[in-house]
Amino acid sequence: MPISSFMGLQSALSGLEANQEAIQTTSNNIANASTPGYTDEAAVMTENYALTIPNGSGGVQLGTGVDVNTISRASDQYLNNSYRAQNTVASYASTESTTLGQVQSELNEPSSTGISSQLSAFWSSWSDLANDPTGPTSQAARQTVIDDGTTLAQGLNSLSDQLSSMQSQVAQQYSDLTGTGGELQSYANQIATLNGDIAEAQQGGMNANQLEDQRDQAINNLSSLGTVSYSAAPNGELTVAFGGAATPLVSGTTVNWPPTITSTPGGELGALVSLSGPGGQIDSYLTDLGNVAGALVSTVNNLSPGTPFFNPSDTTAATIAVAATASTIQTTTTGNPGANDVALAIAGLSGGQADQLYGAFVAQVGQDTQTAQNNQQTSQTLLTAINSQVQSVSGVSLDQEMTNLLTYQQGYEASAKVMTAMQSMLETLITQVGAGL
Amino acid sequence: MERITELMTSQNTISNLNQQLNQLSATENELSTGLSINEPSDNPYGASLAIQLNGQLSALTSYTGNVSDGTAWTSQADSSLMDINEQVQSVQELVVQAANGTSTPAQLDADATEVNQLIAGIKQDASAQYDGQYIFSGTDTTTAPYQAGSNDAYQGNSGAIQRSIGPGAAPVQVNTDISQLLGNGQTVSGQPAGDGLLLNTLRNIAGDMQAGSTASLGNDLTDLQTNMGTLGQMQANVGAVQDQLQMASSRIQNLQTEVQTQLSSTEDVNMAQTMTQYSTEQASYNAALQASASVLQTDSLANFLSS
Repeated sequence: MPISSFMGLQSALSGLEANQEAIQTTSNNIANASTPGYTDEAAVMTENYALTIPNGSGGVQLGTGVDVNTISRASDQYLNNSYRAQNTVASYASTESTTLGQVQSELNEPSSTGISSQLSAFWSSWSDLANDPTGPTSQAARQTVIDDGTTLAQGLNSLSDQLSSMQSQVAQQYSDLTGTGGELQSYANQIATLNGDIAEAQQGGMNANQLEDQRDQAINNLSSLGTVSYSAAPNGELTVAFGGAATPLVSGTTVNWPPTITSTPGGELGALVSLSGPGGQIDSYLTDLGNVAGALVSTVNNLSPGTPFFNPSDTTAATIAVAATASTIQTTTTGNPGANDVALAIAGLSGGQADQLYGAFVAQVGQDTQTAQNNQQTSQTLLTAINSQVQSVSGVSLDQEMTNLLTYQQGYEASAKVMTAMQSMLETLITQVGAGL
Repeated sequence: MERITELMTSQNTISNLNQQLNQLSATENELSTGLSINEPSDNPYGASLAIQLNGQLSALTSYTGNVSDGTAWTSQADSSLMDINEQVQSVQELVVQAANGTSTPAQLDADATEVNQLIAGIKQDASAQYDGQYIFSGTDTTTAPYQAGSNDAYQGNSGAIQRSIGPGAAPVQVNTDISQLLGNGQTVSGQPAGDGLLLNTLRNIAGDMQAGSTASLGNDLTDLQTNMGTLGQMQANVGAVQDQLQMASSRIQNLQTEVQTQLSSTEDVNMAQTMTQYSTEQASYNAALQASASVLQTDSLANFLSS
């Protein structure tokens, strides 16, 4: 059975077109080699249906060319999932380490200006006063005790203020991220919109590669805020659960707003909650600092007869204040001008409860910060490693693209050559055979 | 075999360079501050130890101040007691002379006047002050221990003035209760004959000289010698306190050196080691930069394909 004279032309044309599309895909890969979130694409070529030509023994199948069936994405869902899980961990660690680093620098320890030095100066001034309870320079010694006590009280007030304001800043950051118009809502909306677009494209039988890139990128961004898990529907839509909550944040094209957020959402939000929440880390530092102030007030006041040195009702770090004045400071319980039993006893508090509590507080902050910094480094290293794997699968390799380019270019040239051959064959047929007509 | 992409290479390069630069900058910070602990997180335990040691150093400085204050206080007491001793010896000479019975009444009168002058001098010595405070009035430091004139009653109290002289050491008493030596004279109630202490004895001597009763002077001399014994005892006590302060001072110095050494080994940078580390890190950072530059400039296949 004969075949059409022009069939070869059609096959050559399909080769030209397929190679052209493949070159276009390669060109797009090269152009997007550095685009964040871009996934390497490949033109997947398949052979066209063969034409069956019957002959005496049954028939032969004659190939009819090539077609680009689909443009595939080099995306590995398992790798993407581990990247997102690690991204959540790294984001938690980085938020925690940054904030604790700030807390630590507020302490300004060890230094000659931190609260530890102010405590030392306070005890020293009592020791000086014990040496000089009545002499002509005694007034100066009394004033120094008041001044050093005030400096210490104000130092505690201001550190407590700074910690409190850091706590409210962190809480503010949390509500900014999770509030209406915040990052969380913006990512959720992006994902819902893209879900719709992708479903529509798939229904029309199209690949929606760049939409999927965008959606993957949005989920990556979401995973830095908190833990993310998702399931895919057959129509290409994703149901995305966030922060371990039972109600999904995005189901199909719907965003469940306002979102349900658990108390341990992980990621940046998780770190913000554990730092600023009631009973959180900053809260516990404020309690520690309050204990220092409380110990200071009670130990010093217990030893001061008459007017208490510190205001006895203000026993927190935020409120501690000196109540005594240079003229009301008592150096003795006996009323004898030269006696210094009280001053001696208060000077003897140096290295005592308040100092120890403060030292332990600094060590605690240091320990927490060190742990957070180590976590941050470790999780960042792991994230880089996983990202490297993702890039290995999904990234664009220029060498590979150049090789592909060459292959497709030669394929194109060869198809063109076939077309020339066909043309010359047809010309022969028409001029040689047709000339006699 | 793993597929390597250009973005991978550049991201890894950045991350590695960043890590090295972080380490380099941490070492640089240590070198420029001279401290290995610049923030509590550098070494949490070390930081709290450093805070504690700094507190100890500050307390030791206070102790040093206390010791030198106590030393000044006792030196003043020592020299006053020495003056009193000299004057009492003058009285003793006069009494021995008078007791011979060879002195004329006029001479005895003159002797009595001299004894009275010495009593005034002794009272004045007892009113010695340090830094505006009467050192022999107990804790009643704004009141002179004895009034000038005939009232010999002690005006101060028996309170102790203490200086704390070191961690764990009991506070040392730096003042001396001079009423144990000088007493209350003859004015003490219920004791018409007086308390037998120095001022009482001296007044008796002056009275006996004036009355010309040389026979009583023998008894007075015995009393006076007893009083001198008390004075000697008191001087010895002051000397002992001075020794104690001296020892405390050298103990504090030792402690200061010890704590300083400990603090230094806790928070100071080991310069030689850190400098070496710094050079190593710098060299390896430079090498990494160089390597990264050539890695990033590595040609791809594109450079070799002819157009």
